[in-house]
Order: sequence, then structure tokens, then C-alpha cells
Amino acid sequence: MKKELEKLKNEFEGVIKKVSDKDSLEKLKNEFLGRKGKVKSLMKNVASLADEERKVIGKIANEIKDAIEVSYGLKEKELEVQEYATIVDREWMDVTQPGTFAEQGHLHPVTKTIYEIEDIFSKIGFTRIPVPEVDWDHYAFETLNMPKDHPARDDWETFFIDAPEGKKGKLVVIPHVSNVQVRAMEDYELPFRALYIGRSYRRQSDTSHSPMFHQFEILMIDEGVNFTHLRGVIEHFVHSYFGPDRSIRLRPHHFRFTEPSFEVDISCGLCSGTGELDNIQCKMCKEGWLELAGAGMTHPNVLKAGGVDTKKYTALAFAFGIERTMMMRAGMNVDDIRTLYKNDLRFVRQF
Amino acid sequence: MNILASYNWIKEYLKTDLSAEEFAKLTTSAGNSVETISDLSKKFNRMVVGLITKVESHPDADKLRIVKTDIGKKKVDIVCGGENLEEGMLVVVGLPGAKVLWHGEGDLVELEKTKIRGVESHGMICAASEIGFDKLEQSEKDIWDITKITESKPGTPISEALGLDDFIFDIEVTTNRPDCKSIIGQAREGGAVTSGKFNFSKQVSKSENTNVHTKKGIKEFVVDVKEKELCPKYSAVLIGGIKVGPSPWWLQKKLLLAGFKPINNLVDITNYVLHEYGQPMHTFDADKLNGDKVVVRKAKKSEKFVALDGSEHKLDSSVLVIADSKRPIAIAGVMGGESTGTTDITTSVLIECATFDPVSVRRTSRALNLYSDSQLLFEKGLSTEATEPALMRAISLILEIAGGKIISDIITHKTSDYKSLVFDFDEDSVNSLMGIDMSKKAMVTSLEKLGFMVSKSNKVTVPYWRDNDIESSVDFVEEIARIYGYDNFPAKLPSSGLNFLKEDPGLVWERKIKDLLAGSGLTEVYSFAFVSKDQLDNYGISEQNVVKIKNPLTIDQEYMRPSLVPSMLTAISKNNKRFPVGGLFEVAPVYKNRKNDRPKEPLQLVLGVYGGDGKGSFLKAKGILERLFGQVGIHNYEYKRDTDPQIWHAGRSVSIHVDGRFVGEMGQVSRFVERAFGLDVSAVIIRLEIAEMLDLFTNIKFYKAIAQFPSVKRDIAFVIDERIEYGAVIEKIMSDARLLESVDVFDIYRGKGVDEDKKSLALHLSFSSSERTLNAKEVDDELELLRTMLQKEFNAIMRS
Repeated sequence: MKKELEKLKNEFEGVIKKVSDKDSLEKLKNEFLGRKGKVKSLMKNVASLADEERKVIGKIANEIKDAIEVSYGLKEKELEVQEYATIVDREWMDVTQPGTFAEQGHLHPVTKTIYEIEDIFSKIGFTRIPVPEVDWDHYAFETLNMPKDHPARDDWETFFIDAPEGKKGKLVVIPHVSNVQVRAMEDYELPFRALYIGRSYRRQSDTSHSPMFHQFEILMIDEGVNFTHLRGVIEHFVHSYFGPDRSIRLRPHHFRFTEPSFEVDISCGLCSGTGELDNIQCKMCKEGWLELAGAGMTHPNVLKAGGVDTKKYTALAFAFGIERTMMMRAGMNVDDIRTLYKNDLRFVRQF
Repeated sequence: MNILASYNWIKEYLKTDLSAEEFAKLTTSAGNSVETISDLSKKFNRMVVGLITKVESHPDADKLRIVKTDIGKKKVDIVCGGENLEEGMLVVVGLPGAKVLWHGEGDLVELEKTKIRGVESHGMICAASEIGFDKLEQSEKDIWDITKITESKPGTPISEALGLDDFIFDIEVTTNRPDCKSIIGQAREGGAVTSGKFNFSKQVSKSENTNVHTKKGIKEFVVDVKEKELCPKYSAVLIGGIKVGPSPWWLQKKLLLAGFKPINNLVDITNYVLHEYGQPMHTFDADKLNGDKVVVRKAKKSEKFVALDGSEHKLDSSVLVIADSKRPIAIAGVMGGESTGTTDITTSVLIECATFDPVSVRRTSRALNLYSDSQLLFEKGLSTEATEPALMRAISLILEIAGGKIISDIITHKTSDYKSLVFDFDEDSVNSLMGIDMSKKAMVTSLEKLGFMVSKSNKVTVPYWRDNDIESSVDFVEEIARIYGYDNFPAKLPSSGLNFLKEDPGLVWERKIKDLLAGSGLTEVYSFAFVSKDQLDNYGISEQNVVKIKNPLTIDQEYMRPSLVPSMLTAISKNNKRFPVGGLFEVAPVYKNRKNDRPKEPLQLVLGVYGGDGKGSFLKAKGILERLFGQVGIHNYEYKRDTDPQIWHAGRSVSIHVDGRFVGEMGQVSRFVERAFGLDVSAVIIRLEIAEMLDLFTNIKFYKAIAQFPSVKRDIAFVIDERIEYGAVIEKIMSDARLLESVDVFDIYRGKGVDEDKKSLALHLSFSSSERTLNAKEVDDELELLRTMLQKEFNAIMRS
């Protein structure tokens, strides 16, 4: 019996050495370790031995069985390592071929920009409020310190609705979102920080003007609001949207609804504010600066028109065109701004 | 508006040693934005005076000459095609390394030593336009003869020889500061932000305040201002014995650098004073006037006028004109007339220096489509006090340059006596608005540098050149702050207590919906809010009650859209050739007229799925809609077949209802609409009235406990008539079953093995109970009940 066991072990060791593939190993496993395998049947024989002998032989049998299993395990591992070494050839694929996509949607770049700006300002407490696009000239001009004769109120500058005049004047298709200023003063309790972005319309159509465009504006009214806060708010935006390395320049300017007023310039990202690229004048900017926005402290006449106590409250405003700001950052060189609203999918699908 | 300002010219009125860059930086920070600085010494680098010593013909080219030119240290050969070349002539020689404009066009080109038709050429003899003076009158084939305008020796750098050692600033001037569109204005501003001294004192005539004035030996002339509001001041003077001719080089040069075209000494002098003082003027040929009188009046209806630029105009009573005794001779403040313009043979002139109402000038200029440098300034508003110094300056220049003498009084009409504006000044409000702590003394110094006068009792007198700009005390804040320098202020984030505004549900849901639709593979489009009558017609909307624009830019942008669908169909038809299959959406307000109120602007969503067959697109669009509904918390919706068959495909369209409320429509558009919009493909549109749905949207998700007991699954398949709606079958199954947890369709089959006009539905049914594990019999009984129902209610033929 013992001899038979030894023989079986040797037989197994002899055969397994020659095995070089998984199938043969599997066959060998069945032949020796399977339910009807050689080991099993020998074990059965062991069971039928007398007690004394069974104890001794049983122990040997188990040892041999273990040894067979161990060498089987080693072989199995060896084969797996061998096999894995060749996977690069057997399961090679062309990793440069195009990936397969789930159907991809596209938000319009203007939408993306609006949401990004909204998020930047919501961090410092500004809430977005809606903009009526057809409004009385009371809100669009009159209360903004823009008297009847102001050029913006001429027929060739602004769109008017073909409708009778109301108590608050003519109906205007808003040329800026600033109509919200006095509306907000009427609608909300002070103090507040409001942000509004909306479509605006001007009677101008050329490569740098679209008759419909988008404007952004903020209005903050509170006690003790001063110019240093306006600077802070502008800096927060510029550094969030364009990056912390951009510098800001404020140039005195003229707007009817702010006093003082200024234009906000940021240093040019293309020439790093030097105004020159390889000794040639930078084509993107003016002497290293890009015009970004208009801003100022809200004119007391406007606050009064909105029923605000100008002895108690002051206010700041900051505004810019979404399209221009978007293109300034993205380096999106759209030769004709109207391309944004032509709905050519070759354009929109790039975003 | 911008001004091209020579730094040398500014320095005639401002004493400063600052470099051009330093000056530009300071004056920009105070509001005079220097957009570019042009360094003329760089521009004219490597250009020298050349003396032509010999002109020889070129052996291989008829039109070229070999010009021996003395350039100081040596004589060189230059090949040149100029037709006016002469020995002894002084010319501009561009040496190798100079940058010129070939034939006055294109980009700058750097000269190199070169061979032209086999002959070496050591530079270029330049035409005026080739070195940037394209406004200088010159024959096309001529080079620029500078013999008469310089006495410099050959070899002298051109910038020195022609007095071009200068910097030119291109400065943006804001609309409230027409006074800064002048050299004096720029010098004055420069004086306020630098330590330089501004030295200008206005010349005043001796015969001020005389409306009509006659003296012996002096020609009698009458000015009659009928429109005193529109013309608050009008001064005129006659000068006789003038000799018209080209201006001297120093004057031409200053005009060229300022962007003007030198014409003759008379015109040049008015332009010179316009640029230097910022006050427009006009000269009439006095011999061409009818009568000894000019009238400032409104034009008569249908009166005709030919302007100096040759344009013809039919006037009406909205136009203010200057007239002689017969006809208009100028559109006030805009342009003079051709018939009374000065020419080379003019000998006596009437000089006009006036102030006109800015609004009238603007409206007239726009209405006549007639623009000029004068109009640009007048429409910004000029002070009545500005006329006199300018007129005095012009008279003295004319007498000096064109000769002649004054042959009338200076006749001045004033509507009222000038009174300076005076406002109170309060230093505390300046400090609190600006967030700084500045002394009153420093504030007063800034104001005084700008020409304001501050009294001990804090009254500020506004200088006349700011008459149309300074409106109240608050305006002084800017004056003080800009001189202080905005960049010297700290930046602080406002930190006082926050009072958040309530978020607007329309804006919140608009954003979510856009994100969800883009996530469903749709592309967002932005159409103009304007539509044409055609677009409305094509979609069956009568323009009757649509919000209409009174002054549209073009006829196809005449209406404010009452629906987003027409724009969407236009967008599809634009793209369906290049992208034959696609899905688009737009979320935007539409405009609806209201009685006695401004139009309502409810938010709408339109979604367009096009290409492929209509049925497939319908199901795709519907899938997107139902997914959207699920994500915004809408579950109780239903569809009704009650759409307008003119607009919608009668078999493939429904109206959409949520909680029994109409919220929109969905369907393939009818063939009439397809054709009207020129679609090459079928299109399925969904329109949702988002504004009506805001109360239905919710972020709240309801949680149903996960079943504790396993569910039992069974499949069922049956054939029914094509016309029996899936929706009806499922609804009935759900209402009849008692243990059913969910039904999912896994196949809807038509074709082989199923009769025509029939379809086979295959469903997964899932049964469960929240109380116990169901046994097989219970489930089978339930299933049998449903089978019986399907057979009875829908004539279903069971397949399994």
C-alpha cells in the first residue's frame, strides 16, 4: 500500500513536470485529484485497512495527497505567470482608435459663462434676480439719470415697442440690464446685494456688435458702502475668473447712473501686460491693457428715484458684456460676434 | 471719441520734463486714456535729408532713374521711379533699416540694400505717403520734394529736419468731456496730474458784447438769430484781402500729426484752432453771400441744400440753418454749404464761431446722415464762453498767415449773459463715498488745478469748459478721486451682515433644466428674440397681437417672438443638411402683449429632435421629456390627442398635462409647417410653458422602503390591435392588479408571425407584498386574473 502511494506520487511528479498548458493541467487534476481520480480511489482503499495499519498508512496517504496538491498548486501558478507574460500579444488592442461616446450634449458658451459668473458672485453674497427685457423708459432711462434728450433714447440707438405710451413712458427693448436697478430698489428690502444677467438689445449690427447681446451687472446697497468695496468686488471677480496673476486698472470714465464712474481694465493675458509680443505691438490689447467693464458708485439721483434714503445708504455697481468677457478669457477668436447667435452647430458643438 | 495729441503741442501749454510714457501713465489714470503712444523718432529712424546731385537714366528700365544723392557723409546711387526728380532737390531718403509703407499701403516694410534691374540701390527716395503722410496732397508718381520746407543739410535725420521729434498720443475722450478733445484741454488735465505748470490765458477782444456795431470805414454786417434757444451764441467777423494758398509746413505738419488733411491756409487754420481749442468754426466766402446779413433760423419745408461734401439734402423745420438773405448756407454746427465755401480764389471771408444746442445738432446730423468734426463736438455740448478765445486765435492766425485785415466788427449775439455754475462742496461726503481720509486742503488743490474755484464758504465755481458736464456736488468726488489716483485706493470685500435675496425659481429651474437637457445629449441654441412676419406665418401665428418693434433694424426682426418654436424650426432648417440628425433646445422668455401693462415674459422651453423617421424621433423626444420630468419631480402627467392638425402631424402629436393642467405640446410638425420652414427632415418639437410649471418642480425625492420580502417575476406576452394604446393597457393592468409592484415593457414587436395591424407586447411583471413572501399559487392566480382581463378588455391573444 505504501509503495503504491509512493508510486502514485512519483507518477504525478513525473507527469506534471511535462505539463505546459492549462488544459493538460486540468486533465491531470481530474485524473489524480478528481472525484474519481487516482488519489481518491487509493484513499478509499486506505479506508478499508485495519485500524493499526490505517493509522500509519493514512498519515502517509494524506502527506502524499498534500504533496500532490502542493505541486499542482505550484504548477498552476507557474502556468498563470507564463500565460500573463504573453497577454500583451494575445489581447493586444489599438488603443489609439477613437473612443465610443455616449451621446454628448452641449450648453451654449454664453450659458456656461453666465453660470460661472453667477457662482463667483454668489460666494460673496450676491443673488441673481430676473431682468424684464421689455420695460418702460422710466426704468430703462429716466430713473437712471438719463434725461429725455440723452442720445441712448434716440430711435436709432434703442429699440422701441410699437405701443401707446403708459404712465411710465414708452416701452423699450432694454439696451442694458440697468433697468433692474430702480426695480430692485422698489422690490426688495434694503440692504441687498443683487446680480442680474440678461439679454440686452441695441440697434447696431456689425462684426463687433450683435443687436442682441448679454449684459451682467451687480448692485449692492448698504450703509457705508464705498469705493474700496467696489474695488474689492472687482478684484474678487477678476482674480476668480481670469486668474490671480491679472492686474487691474481703473480709469475714470463717464456713465450717467454712477458718480464717480470708471472703466475697469485688466492686464492682457497674451502679452502679460507688456503691450508687446516679440517686439511687435500686441494685437489683443492697448498698451498691455484690455477693457473689461464699467463701474461706479450709484448716482444719488438714481438712488432717490428708487426711494432710497441717500443720507443713510450708498451703493456700488459693476457691469460688463458677457460675450466680450467670455472671449477675452477663452482666447476664443470669433471674428464676428453675431456667430454666437447664428445657431450653426459647427460652432455650438465645439463647447 | 479719440484725439491724436502731439506731446510737443501739449508742451506749448504745459511745462513738463516727464517722458512721454510717464506723462501717458499719469494722464490715463486721471481719465484721459492713452491707447497708443507713437514715437516719431522711431518711425522716422534711418531716414535722412538727401540732396539730388544728378539724375541718370536706368540702362534697363524706361521709367526708373539712377539718382546720385548726397546723404551727408557720402553720395549714393538710389534707383527711383519718381517723375518729379530734379537736380538740387531735397528729398527724404530711407536708408537700409528704415521702415516704410510701399506705395503708402499695407504693413511697414524694412528697407534693405538691393539691386533693382541690375543696378545697386542704397535706399529709397520716399513719397509722403510712404512715410505715413498719406493725407498730404501729392501726385501719385511724385516723390516728396522737401526743398521748400527745410534748410537742413544733407544727412540730417528727417525727424530733426522736419521738426518731427515728437510723440503722438491716441487718447480716448469720454462724451462728457468735449473740452478734452483739444490740445489745451489735454495740457490742462496734464497740469492737474503732474507737477507741470499749465500756462494758457484766453485772449479777449476789445469789442465784446456788441450785438450790432457799426463804425465808419467798416463794412456793415448784420447777424440775426431767430432761434435763441438753439443758438445761444453766434459770433461773426469779416476779413478781407486774404490770399488763399498752402499753409506753411509747421502748420501742415501739426495738422497731419493730428489726423487732418491740409487743404489751404483758411481751412487749415479753422482745423488748427478746432484741434487746439476744441471750438469748431466755419468760414464762408463773403463774396458769395447774398446780402450783408446772416440769419440763424429753422429751415423752411422742402428747402434744398448742398453740403460741402457734395451731398444734397431736402430740409424741414427741424433743421437749424445759417442762411443769407436768400438760402441756407450752412446746417448749423454740422456742415457748411458748397455754394458759399472758400476756394483758392477767395479773398474775403465771413468767420463764424458759435454755440449750438447739442440735441438739435445730433438729431439733425443723424436725420441727414451728415457727420463732421464740428458736429461731433457740438453734440457733446460746448460752453458759450469758449467761442471768443478761439475766434481771437483764428483771426490772429489768418492775419499772420493769409494776410488781409478785419473789415467788420466782431459781431456777437448772445441769448443771455453767461453765469458760472456754482455748487456746494462737502469734504466729508467725499471721504465717506471714497472710503479714504483726505484733507480738505488736498481736495481743494486738486479742484483748483482743474480750474475750479473754491470759496472759503465751500462754494465751488465751475470753469466754463465744464458747463455741460458738472451737474451737482457729487461730481466733485470724481474730480478729487481721479487726481488722487484710483490705483492708490485699497481693495476691500464688503463684510457687513448679509441679507440674502430669495432665489428666483425661474432662474433656478432654468439652470437645472438646461443642465439636464445637455446631459440628455441635446445641444443648446440661442436665437434672437426677434422674428419675422414670415416666421410667424409659417407657424400659423397671426402677427396681430404680437409685440411689435417700432424701429426694427431689419424687416426680418420686426416682432418679439411669442413662441420659441419658429426660431427652433429655422435653426433646424439651417443645420439639417450638414447635420441630418440632431437634438436641439432653447430656454428663453417669450413676449405676450398685455393690456395697460408691459408685455409678459414667460419662460418657455423648446426642444427639437429631427432626422430619421418621425416615429423614432417622437419616441426619443418623449424619452428625454419623461426623464426630465422624473428629474424635476413630475410624475403625474398625461398626454391628449387634441392638437391642431395644421401645425402638428395628426397621428403623432399630443398635448401635455401635469396634474390635469395643460403645460405644453409634443409632436412631429405637420407637413405644412415642414414645407414652410424648408425642412429636409421630419422634426419633432416639444414646447413646455416653464413659467406655468414652476410650482410643479421639486427637488424633493420620495423614498419607498426597499421591499423586505423577495419579489416574484413573471413574463407575459400577447398580441393586440395596433390601435390599442400601450398606455391604456398598462393603466388597466396597474389598476386591476393587487400584488403587482412594477411593469416593464421589454419588447414591442410588429412583423413576421404577427398579423398586420397588430402588435405583440412582452412585459416583465414583478409581484410582491410588503407583508410576506408570496407563494407561487398566489402569483399564478394574480397572473391568471390579468390574462383574463387582457383577453376580455383588449381582445388580447396570449402568447405566453
